[in-house]
Amino acid sequence: MPTDTFTNEAIDLDLLPKYEEISLNKPHSDYWKIICINLFICFIIGGIITGLGLTFVDEFKLHTISICIIYALFTSGLLLLFWLSFKKRGYAIRTRDVIYKSGIVAESTTIVPLNRIQHIELNEGIFSRMFKLGSLQIFTAGGQTGHLHIAGIPIEEAKNIRDLLLNKLDLIQNPIAETEL
Amino acid sequence: MERDFSKPQRESAFGIIVMAAHTILKVVKTMFFFIIYAFVKIGGSYLNYALLALAFLILLCLVYAYFWYLKFTFFLDKDKQEFVVNKGVLNRDQVIIQLDKIQQVNINQNVLQKIIGVYGLKIDTAGAKGEEVSIRAIDEVSAYNLKEHLLSGKYNVIEPASEIDKNLITVNETPLLKISSWTLFKVGLTSNYGQSLALMAAFFLYTIQEARHIIDVFELDKGYVKSTVLGLVTLFSAAIIVVILLIALLIINLIRTFYKYFELEISQHKHSLLLSSGLIAKKSTLIRPDKVQITKYSQNYFQKKLNMLNMSLKQAHFGQSKKGHEMQGNTLEIVGCNPMERDELLTMILGQAPLKGKTFVPDWRFLNLPIFFKLVLPVLIFLTLVYNIPEVKPFIGISIAYLAVGIFMIYVSYRRHRISVNQDFIIKTSGIWDVSNEIIMPYKIQAITTFQYPWHKGIDVGHLSLHTAAGQVHFKYGNYSEIKQLVNYWLYQVESRDENWM
Repeated sequence: MPTDTFTNEAIDLDLLPKYEEISLNKPHSDYWKIICINLFICFIIGGIITGLGLTFVDEFKLHTISICIIYALFTSGLLLLFWLSFKKRGYAIRTRDVIYKSGIVAESTTIVPLNRIQHIELNEGIFSRMFKLGSLQIFTAGGQTGHLHIAGIPIEEAKNIRDLLLNKLDLIQNPIAETEL
Repeated sequence: MERDFSKPQRESAFGIIVMAAHTILKVVKTMFFFIIYAFVKIGGSYLNYALLALAFLILLCLVYAYFWYLKFTFFLDKDKQEFVVNKGVLNRDQVIIQLDKIQQVNINQNVLQKIIGVYGLKIDTAGAKGEEVSIRAIDEVSAYNLKEHLLSGKYNVIEPASEIDKNLITVNETPLLKISSWTLFKVGLTSNYGQSLALMAAFFLYTIQEARHIIDVFELDKGYVKSTVLGLVTLFSAAIIVVILLIALLIINLIRTFYKYFELEISQHKHSLLLSSGLIAKKSTLIRPDKVQITKYSQNYFQKKLNMLNMSLKQAHFGQSKKGHEMQGNTLEIVGCNPMERDELLTMILGQAPLKGKTFVPDWRFLNLPIFFKLVLPVLIFLTLVYNIPEVKPFIGISIAYLAVGIFMIYVSYRRHRISVNQDFIIKTSGIWDVSNEIIMPYKIQAITTFQYPWHKGIDVGHLSLHTAAGQVHFKYGNYSEIKQLVNYWLYQVESRDENWM
């Protein structure tokens, strides 16, 4: 009996809009510059610390070359990872949900229906502001893992998306509020 | 003094002091040992410099707090029904909260705020962990005014689980379910070993640590203590100790079960269920069935033979969820009910008895990772140890037994791991010893994540997590095309209807 009702629905299933076929927007190319700036700041601090270590700690002096090589490998590896992760990101706004794709190795796609959004945060970091970019955080009641953090959106577009989502939220919630009252 | 908060405004100027104190506290907390160390090591001659540095730090915090105060503004957008906060010293952050999504508004006062005469106001939604907005300094009238404004947009202000007072309980109808002491005894013998074990382990670790302290303080001879302990061990022999530990575990388990679930009763009120239990402190909880996010029942081999099972009702967990800590508070356990009572309860909570629909099973690759990381890798490490240290050789049989038991357990978990879907329910089955069934209704889904490793692309295998307000439900190594189809179906179900998920 339950299988019958399910196969009845299964005809519908193929006609439903498919989330996996939506073409995704990529983060703005300037966002890569911001990632680089942030990374380089970390690298410089790391470099200063290793440099200090090399000049003042005698045990390290013996291995100067190998430490330098390891540090260079580490930084380039990190850059590569961030580049890959930057390349893999994508987002899309549908009329009824938000899709965000990310992941270096495993490609994970998270979908948040608009009527399940709790609140939205628009962040502009100090470097992001220079490049007129912003990042949008979309919170649901689904805990830490159910949140979306879409970085590197042009600020105007981000504001538009924010307004769009908030307006959508209003549209969805008002009917409920009216019926409940 | 009626204020409508429609224009962006700052908090009370005293907020600078509160914020500065908060920052100083945070800095001191993180650098506590460093500061102490510095004071002790530096000695008298440089004490002035150290104090100067400290004063500089405090000044820095004050300056930071001043800028924080300047940048922190909030206002109420009446048209859009939003509460908007702008903040950030270097960054510029904007937090926007829909008024009717606010779960609770807390007004509180810590010592400093009491001295200055201001209040702190915190706004909490079910979204992020911790509070979303914290206004640190606001005068009393404005605080309560703002609270009124913030909560007026809400249509039903019912706590997910509110403790109610005794006189309400007296208006009791015949209980839906009553767990007798005999059943509790059986429950105590058959379930929750893990938690009791953890309790016992924590207790032992604590004792050992304390013992060490005592040894240090009284400067006892460590060798003497060690030989006494070893003497005790040989006196009793390992087998007896194991038996004693097992009995202790059972007793602890029994005591815990009785303490928590003594006279567990469930009765049905108008729109809610009343659960009451407890040996010394009787705890009553009132829940609305439609606020339950995940309904779960589990049963192990012994319990199956005794014809009973445990149920738990998971509600949305707000605030800080420290890996299950907070979730415990929002999970209601019903132990020792029989299948008939379970069905009755499920019908109460879900509106209808859940039927299993089409069942999806994982791919055999489900076995790979656990077998490698939990079995092959440890055994390999052990074998290299054996190769290098001949003394361990006699124990090689253990590794074989470990391998055999491990493979069996992982295989069982693979066989049990499945998800069954029909129109109204998603039922996820899993477990090795305790076989649990988690039931969620599609409209309780908050977000869906699917993911796939690149090497699984060719064979069409992928993973699924459903995020609900009470935690996640995973289905691993399923057929990815089927998963995508299911996701599209659930999205359709969630998005086409506007059911209130809580």
